Order: sequence, then structure tokens, then C-alpha cells
Amino acid sequence: MNESKKFNKKWFLLLIPIALVAVLVTVMLVFSPKGEKGSKTITISVVDSKKQTVTYTTKTDAEFLRQVMEETEGLTFSGNESEYGLMVTVVNGETADFNVDGSYWAFYINDEYCNYGIDSQPVTDGDSFKIEYTK
Amino acid sequence: MKKLTVKDITLFAMMLAVIEVSKLALSFLPNIELTTFWIIIFTLFFKERIIPVIPAFILIEGVIYGFGLWWFMYLYIFPLIALMTYLFRKNKSVIFWSVFSSVFGFLFGFLCSFPYIIIGALEGGIKNGITYAFSWWVAGISWDIVHGVGNFFLMLALYVPIIKVTEKLSKKFFADKKD
Repeated sequence: MNESKKFNKKWFLLLIPIALVAVLVTVMLVFSPKGEKGSKTITISVVDSKKQTVTYTTKTDAEFLRQVMEETEGLTFSGNESEYGLMVTVVNGETADFNVDGSYWAFYINDEYCNYGIDSQPVTDGDSFKIEYTK
Repeated sequence: MKKLTVKDITLFAMMLAVIEVSKLALSFLPNIELTTFWIIIFTLFFKERIIPVIPAFILIEGVIYGFGLWWFMYLYIFPLIALMTYLFRKNKSVIFWSVFSSVFGFLFGFLCSFPYIIIGALEGGIKNGITYAFSWWVAGISWDIVHGVGNFFLMLALYVPIIKVTEKLSKKFFADKKD
């Protein structure tokens, strides 16, 4: 009888990770940023370390910022792929590496700090992004 | 307070080396790690002797990879794993420790999101902080699931053989000690 109770308790424990996965998947499905289909006009401004600004305007069907940036003529960027998408370290040839000197490229959407990485930051028609060298 | 012996210092170094080497060996697999596994096993076996190992491990990680924001997350997450393990140390079930280890994997992103509350709050108030932390957590949930599943199966596969070996070695190593 005791052995059977112990056995049941052990298997009951397995419900914890199963329940956690269910909760995590639900949160992910409900709250993950969702892109918007259709044509959009997006503005991207790059402010470099000398506070000089270059502004680009792009017409796109892209749903997330990374694709908009890739489609923007004249804008170049690169970085390190991570589990949160691309961590941008180089924009228009200028490097900002937090591990080297505490500098980074800050991303703003309509003057508010972006809450997502560029791979998951949704874009809507008329959005204005700012990519600013910050130290 | 117990007197620190040469054996104790050697044990610290061995634990640290095992954790670091395992971490480095699996670093090519995102979110699959043995650090949680070893901290649990070492806490179960060597109890308070894990205390100097965790800060040393965190310091080495900072020196190797740079003292980024993640480093501050390590400062409370790994001591928390050791503390929780110590509280449940009487449990010997492989299923229990597999579930325990997986829970830390599943909640890793959630636990890591706390500093973002402060960062977001500094930018635009506490509401912004909570939104920022929540968004950051949601963005990494798929990787938390990988982390939790990885932790579960690593513990399930390694707990029994490693416990057997560690039991044998620790008896030999600490033959002169009663604890």
C-alpha cells in the first residue's frame, strides 16, 4: 500500500513540469508580439556616436523590425545571433560593444524604448524607429 | 566554525573545475547545461562546502565572458538553486530531482527578468519596468522550455550513476571525517 502511494506521488510530481510547460506555452502564444500584415511606411533614424543623424524611409510589407532594416537601402548592420535574435553591435560601420566599453545601440519606437529585440519587434504603418549610439 | 583543511580546498577546486569544464563543453548547445545538475549534486553531497564554490564560479564566468547584466542574474539564481537543494536534501528520488532541476530551467527566464524591472523602471516608472521585464521574459520562453526539458533529462540520465560514483569517492576522500 505504502509502496503504491510512493509510486503515485512520484508520478504526480511529473505533473509539475507538464503544467509549467502548459503555462509557458499559453503565455507565449497569448503575449508574443504579433506582426501586422499589409503595406507600411517606416522611418528609421540612426544617431551615431558624434550625434549625427541619418534618416531612412522605407515602404515595406515586413512585420518585424529586422526585416525592415534589411530592406532599408543604405542602412547596414550586423551583430551576434542569440536566443533573443540578433544582438546588434555594428550599425553603418560603427561598433558599440557593451563588453568592450559599455556602449550599445539603443532602439526606440515612436520615442519609447523598444521592449523586444529586432527579430520580434512588430512594426505598424507610420512607426518611427530610432537607433542611437549610447554610452 | 569548522577548520578548513587542504582536503576541503582541494574539493572546492575540484567542484569548480567540474562545473566550469561541463559548462564549457556544452556551451555550443543553447540552454543545455550541467551547471544546475552539478550544483544540486554537490549541495546534496557536500552541503555547506558548496558555499565558496558558487561565488568563485560566478566570478570566473564574469572574467571569461564579461560582467554583463546576466552576471548579476547569476548572483542570485545559482545561490537560490543551492539553497533550495539544501532545503530538500533529504529527498533521494531521481524523479524528484529531475522535476526540481527542470523547474529551475523552466523558470530561468522568469528569474532572470527581475533586473529588467529596475532597468525599465529607471527609464519610465515601475509600470514600464514590469512591461519591459515581462516582454523580455516572453521573448525567451521557447528557450526556457528547452532549458527545462534539458535539465529534466540530464538529471534523469545522470543522477543515479553520478550519485554512485560521488558516494564512493566521497567515502574514500573523507574517510577520516564523520560528516
